[in-house]
Amino acid sequence: MAKPRAKRALAYVTDRVRDRSFAGRIAIYIGSLALLFGLWEVASLVILKVKGVEYLPNPVKAITEMQRLGPLLFRNFWTSAWRLVLAILIAFSTGYPLGLLIGQERWLDRFFSPIIYIVYPIPQVAFILLLFLVFGIGNPVKVAIVAIAIFFQLLVSARGAAKEIDPEHVTSVLSAGASRFQTYWHVVIPETLPSILTSLRVSVGLGMAFLYIAEISGSVSPGRGGLGAFIKASSFNTTQQAAGILAMALLGLVLYVIIDIIERVVCRWRYTARRST
Amino acid sequence: MIDVRDVVVEYGKKAAAVRAVDGLSLRVAPGESLALIGPSGCGKSSLLFAMAGLIRPTAGTISVNGESLTRPRREIALILQNAGLLPWKTVWQNANLSLLLGREYPRVTAQAVLDELGLGEVKRRYPSELSEGMKRRVGVARALSTSPSVMLMDEPLASLDTLTKERIQDLFLRLWVRHAFALVLVTHDIEEAAFLGQRVAVLSDRPAQIKEIVENPAMGELNYRDTAAFADTVQRLRAGLER
Repeated sequence: MAKPRAKRALAYVTDRVRDRSFAGRIAIYIGSLALLFGLWEVASLVILKVKGVEYLPNPVKAITEMQRLGPLLFRNFWTSAWRLVLAILIAFSTGYPLGLLIGQERWLDRFFSPIIYIVYPIPQVAFILLLFLVFGIGNPVKVAIVAIAIFFQLLVSARGAAKEIDPEHVTSVLSAGASRFQTYWHVVIPETLPSILTSLRVSVGLGMAFLYIAEISGSVSPGRGGLGAFIKASSFNTTQQAAGILAMALLGLVLYVIIDIIERVVCRWRYTARRST
Repeated sequence: MIDVRDVVVEYGKKAAAVRAVDGLSLRVAPGESLALIGPSGCGKSSLLFAMAGLIRPTAGTISVNGESLTRPRREIALILQNAGLLPWKTVWQNANLSLLLGREYPRVTAQAVLDELGLGEVKRRYPSELSEGMKRRVGVARALSTSPSVMLMDEPLASLDTLTKERIQDLFLRLWVRHAFALVLVTHDIEEAAFLGQRVAVLSDRPAQIKEIVENPAMGELNYRDTAAFADTVQRLRAGLER
């Protein structure tokens, strides 16, 4: 009796997962969130049971705390958000074009590759202290730290993507009379965009980590020092800390959704249904 | 008129240079069709790219309609192996690539060309939504959109199934008759060469040189494949390649 029912339930779930309709996608989103919160709840219970202390408050408590903190948390969210977005914009607008040029132009590649190979593997955190010492601990440095980390990420993947351009696409526009700039505009950029957007997603996580490090360094006022500072300042209030961490997750989610939307617009051709003709 | 004189194409630096084309000369008159056939990797595509103005010959000259060729020109169209379509552009944008790139010519022609090739209905679609045969036709539409006097084709039908291949060969023949461009076709398909080439140049292994030229005057009809003359040309080409 129980077996066919479980089977049917499984079939229902897999059907919904394959469902491409808008409602279907919303349902999946809610389902996966429920799974995440469920695991969180279990972890919180286990920790409470084993340690006897509520180090990890359950999701309901964290969300209630977010509501209670309201404007204070939002101010910090906003500070972190603009720092991260600004850093991403700076890194994208410099790392992407430079990576494309290095990937496409052989002489630039010869010149810059050794530099990239030397600098890229160094964890950028290693520069934090130097930057703080030279430029102080203000906003510009915090943004710069995040931007530098993302810059190298995007530079390296743009360079790789630019090397993988299908030569037939280039031949095709050249024979139609394209200039060098037009070759970039009509082939190199659109062909590399999907993989750049993928590494931009990776960069959001990376940037978040660096932002946290930058924000917990130096002064940490819970007022408007950003989510990192807020989390650090809440060290002895685990519920408040959980609310801060949840806010950081929310920031990441918002950025991922924005990148998804951008991808659907600028890479429209990848999302057309393959209608038979 | 295309005039190729003593053309040498080499790749790489002096010591390690690989010679792809070795002092090759040929002429194609206006409205004439010439097929170049040879083993894979023999350098025939290099020759064609040089005739398209995409690569500069190491030695020798190429002139089109009396002018020496230094870069791609509007009156020379090139059809590539996989049609060379850009996946991020619609059928209309792909077919009108020259227009997008700022070369001027009447839009009316472009629409007429799409209609002529039966692509008017799908002009807003992306290449990924088309069948292989349709993709090739978009490639043809792009080539025709500038009303070229010279049409260069680089293995345009490789990797298509036989029926689709023959249907598009028929299309090439009709377009060649109607638009009267000079056609230079690079292929390793003997039957394709015999069907579309008034003359067929048999090339040697790399570096490419002309081994012999097979005259094929009886071509030009859609039912040519069923004739004894076609079978005879195929025979001669096979013998030429094996020699």
